[in-house]
Order: sequence, then C-alpha cells, then structure tokens
Amino acid sequence: MSTTFLPCSVYHQNYGQDHAWWQTRFIKAKMILLMVFLGVVIPYFADSYILSVCNSIGYTVLGALGVQLLIGFCGQVTLGHAAFLAVGAYTSTLLVLEFPWPAFMLDWGLAYPVSIVIAAITAGLWSVLFGLPSARVKGFYLILTTMAAQFITVDFIITQYISQIGGRGQAFSLPPGTIKIGPWVIDSDLKVYGMMVVLVIICCAIIVNLLRSKTGRAWVAIRDNDISAEVMGINVIKYKLMAFFVAGCIGGVAGAFWISNLAAISPEHFPWFRSLWLVGVILIGGVGSIHGAIFGSIFMVVVMEALQLAVIPLADTFPKLLMDFLFIKEAVFGLAICAFMIFEPNGLAYRWWQAKNYFNLWPFSY
Amino acid sequence: MELFLMAITTGVMVGGIYALVALGWVLIYKCSGVLNLAMGEMTLIGAYVSLTFYSMGVPFLLALLFSLIIGFVLGILTERIFLDKLIGQPVLTVIMVTVGLSFFFKGTVEFIWGTGTQVFSPPVFAIEPIKIGPVLVSQVYLWSFLASIFLLIVFVCFFRYTRWGLAMQATADDEMAALSVGVSARFVYAAAWAIAFMAAGVGGTLLGNINGLNISVGYLGLLVLPVVVFGGLNSVPGAIVGGIAIGVLQNLTGAYLDQYVPGGIKEIIPFVFMAIFLMFKPHGLWGWERIERV
Repeated sequence: MSTTFLPCSVYHQNYGQDHAWWQTRFIKAKMILLMVFLGVVIPYFADSYILSVCNSIGYTVLGALGVQLLIGFCGQVTLGHAAFLAVGAYTSTLLVLEFPWPAFMLDWGLAYPVSIVIAAITAGLWSVLFGLPSARVKGFYLILTTMAAQFITVDFIITQYISQIGGRGQAFSLPPGTIKIGPWVIDSDLKVYGMMVVLVIICCAIIVNLLRSKTGRAWVAIRDNDISAEVMGINVIKYKLMAFFVAGCIGGVAGAFWISNLAAISPEHFPWFRSLWLVGVILIGGVGSIHGAIFGSIFMVVVMEALQLAVIPLADTFPKLLMDFLFIKEAVFGLAICAFMIFEPNGLAYRWWQAKNYFNLWPFSY
Repeated sequence: MELFLMAITTGVMVGGIYALVALGWVLIYKCSGVLNLAMGEMTLIGAYVSLTFYSMGVPFLLALLFSLIIGFVLGILTERIFLDKLIGQPVLTVIMVTVGLSFFFKGTVEFIWGTGTQVFSPPVFAIEPIKIGPVLVSQVYLWSFLASIFLLIVFVCFFRYTRWGLAMQATADDEMAALSVGVSARFVYAAAWAIAFMAAGVGGTLLGNINGLNISVGYLGLLVLPVVVFGGLNSVPGAIVGGIAIGVLQNLTGAYLDQYVPGGIKEIIPFVFMAIFLMFKPHGLWGWERIERV
C-alpha cells in the first residue's frame, strides 16, 4: 500500500519533509486529538468494562504488530506467534517470581520493567531459532516450521517442563502486588491501560522507524521478491533473521505485558488458536500496514464483544448459546477470515486509505 | 525386541490411516494447488457424522457409507462456496481461507457435539487382541489398517482406470493441456475436495475407533502435514510411505523415548522431525523441486 496522497498545494522540498511522520498541520492536530482521546478521554470517562476491552485490544495490537512485521513487511508467514508471546510471558513471570532480585530493585519497582526487556530479548532469540529454517525454505514450508514452533514450545516445553518449575503444577499464580513498575503497583484496569498505551506507542514507533530505515527497505524488498533482493546485494538471511528477532521481541513484550492483566498464567493462554487469531487479525485489518494491525485488532475484539452482548439476551431461551460461546466465537472468526479473504482481500486499512485520499484530494480526486 | 516389533507393527497400522488422510491432502494439492490446513477438522466432521449414525443404531458399514455421502456433499459445497472464488489468488490468501475454514468447522463441531470424549458403543471391533507371529495386535488397529489399505487401493484404481480419475490426473499434470482437451477444471477441483473429505472422514472414523472420539482426533488429522512434507507435497506414493513412516516414528518414540523425556513427546516428535527434515530436504522424498527465476 502506497503512502497517502497529499492535499493540493502541499509540496515537499527535501527528503526530511518527505519522511516526516506528520506531514501537515492537519495531521499533527489529528494525532494530538488522538493522544488526548487515548490519554484523557478514555481513562477518565470509560468504565472498567470498556477499559478491559481496550486492554485486550492493546494486547492484540502488540501481538499482531510482530506478525504484521513478519507477514506484511518481510513476507515470512508465521503461524506460531503465540509461542513467542508465551516465551515472553513465562520469562517475565519466572523472573518476577523466582529471580533473587536485590532489595533496592524491588523497592524501586524495577524488577518487572527489567523483566520485560529480558523477556523481549529471550523471545526474540527463540524466534530467531525457529526462523533459521527460513534461510532454506519459504512459503508453505516456512508455515509448517513455525507451526512446529508453536507445538514444540507451548505444548511440549512449556507445558511439560517450564510449568513444573517450583512444583506448582500447571499454572503460575501471580499474587497481587508482584507486578510493580516504579512506585505504581499494577493492580487495576486503569493502570494496565496506561501501561498498554505506552507500550503500544513505543512498539509502533520502533516498527515505523525501522520500516523507513535501511533495514525496513531491505525487508520490503525481500517480501516483494527475495531473489531480486539477493541479486541487489541484500543479505537475505541476515535480514530475515532480523525480522524474526524484532517480531519475537515485540511478541515477548506483548506476553510480558499481558501477565499484568492475569492472576495466573498457564499454557492455555497461548494455544495455537492465538497464533492463528493474530494472523487473522492482520488479514482482516490489512496486510502490509501498521494501521492494519490496529484496525484489525479493534475490529476483531469489538466484534467478538458485540457478539457476546448479542448472545446474552438469547441465553434465557437457548442456554447452550452462552455456554458454548467459545465455539461460536471460533466459528465466527473462521467465517470472518474467509469472508474478508474472498470479498475484501486488502483489508480494513485499504478502506481507511481510500477514505483519507478522498478527503485529501477533494474536490479534485483525479 | 518384542517392544520393538510391537511398536513397528502398531506404527505401520496407524500409519495406514495417516496415509489415507494424507492421500486426500495430496490430491487437493495436486489438482488445485491449495495447501489445505483444514484437514484435521475434515477428519473430525466425518468421524462425528459416522459416530452419530452408529449410535442411532445404524450398522457400522452403513454409518461409514452415510459419512462418505455427507463428506462428498460437504466437500463439493466447501469448494463451491469458498475455494472456487479464490482461483488465481496468492498462496497466503488461499492458505488463510483454509485456516478460516478449519476454525469454522471446529467451532461448529464443538458446538454441535461438545468437547467430551465419545466412544463408539457397542465397540465396533472386538477388544481381545490377535496374535500375528510373535506380536499381539489389537483388532482395532488391524481392521483399521486393512480398511485403509483397501480404500487406498480403491482410490488408486479410481485414478488409474476411471474417466474422472484420469481427468484429475490430467489436471494435476498440466492444467492448461487438460483444459484444452476438454477437461473441466472446476469439476476436477470439486471432485478433489469431495474425495479428500471422504478420505478424511474414513480416517477420522477409524482413528475415533482406536481411542474414542474427541477434538484431539483433529490434531491427529494435522499430522498429515509432517506426512506430506516427508513424502513430498505432490506425490501419492510419498503420502503412503510418509504416512507409514510417521506412524512408525511416533510409536517408536513412544516406546523408547517416553521414559527419558516424559510428557507428550509422542505427539510432538512428528513436528520436530518435520522442522529438522525441512532444513535438509524441503521438497520431501518425491516432491517436485521448482527452480525459481526472477
């Protein structure tokens, strides 16, 4: 997807302007309004239910960003991203619960932030390990390798071995008060929300900046045609592995973030469904754009919540509907992916792009 | 030694079922180029349909026949509703549609039949094991193996000697040439899906007879992926050899490695094997290698 067309009478005179994030005053005002909306309007006016929906949107965005980077910008299809979320979440949990932190770090609330960073790096390296086959294979074969990553990591290593650390059985419980950043104990939806907004903004900024650097261009070149990219002198393997590393890092951050919202963590939080869900989110949102990851997350989470709200009044007559809601959710998700692939393969971001261009170019839209 | 022989025999017999399901997968890929990730759920549907008929008192073979008919209809419907519109789309799009289909099927199956384990009662095959040479084999495995071998032969004959089968072979070989001599590609695609659905249904029914039927049978259907990767994506003999090889590998691992690496190593090992195998021989044993040019 190309960049948005600029309105009449806006010209770029140097590369700096051309690459600026916010190119016109209108866009600047729009972004400031968005910040106000995210930072002031939602925290002050939303109730706890809306906040929790926002948090799960944010979690999906964080996960989907990594998938978007791999699929949308580097062309490496991954169906095992939940494994890297799981690695991040478990690394962070284990560090917070089991690591003998010095007392001053606990007092200052540094344990959790440091564990997020370590979780990101661990998940990134783990992701590189399963990205290694991408040096030899691509397309469908790579899909199979990443699937193997999911089963090996979550269903085998984490379920059978990591979960047994400390003899707790299947789940690690996170006692209230363990998740602490600086002076704040993350214990309410509002605080999780604050953390989510900060993390999403940081991760988006990192990815957008990477994409307009040499690395990002190399990724896009590999996506468009990896053989031509190699001919042009791009070290394909290095950049592919870098993409896996960055995507894994962001997945790790997502996982480490999500434990602040959970009372206990178990392998069931990271099933294969979660991986496919993330891929579905970017397909519905639009492959190859950051907007796509965000729109897709909002759309899927909101649709699922709306579906649940729609089912509740029917529950008196058909109690099976609410009881088996999870299955309806799966079926609807599957149908949604099929419908989007068949009828709107460009995703929601494409519509957004069209709408923006319409207003930017109005009244001379040719 | 006894353990070894036992693992090998069981492996070969389960492998026969995998081979049957993998044959359906390879057929879809050969004829229409669709990489189908919904195979596991297709086995589930067939298995649950025949279970439903069987528990209604229909004789087993008749129930199997009903599930074949329903599989045929569902296969054609699936192809016509979802896949037909995607001819010529990028590979990822088609793969993701099959992923979407797998969720749709799985959600529907779970909604209708629930997630609990259901068994074929009364048991279809006698419980007491049979002695073949030095090894004890339970009758379920033996009959499943024989049934899958029988069906494999039926399918191979179908491809060799019938008009439809020859049309499918022609399309798989060269679609343009087949079109030019009057083979309807759309018909072939639909037939491939119908046959795959039927093969998956029989495979699922047999697998459901072994350990009872629940959602994890769908996971066993997912094992076709290591199977076809090992044999080569577009090779029918590869699917059969791969199925048996993966079955043997699974049971050998279960017999020998389980005591050192406890937990689900038996379920995971085909995927580990697949990940390693892909690094060295991504086109499988008999798959076509494609040379890429810019």
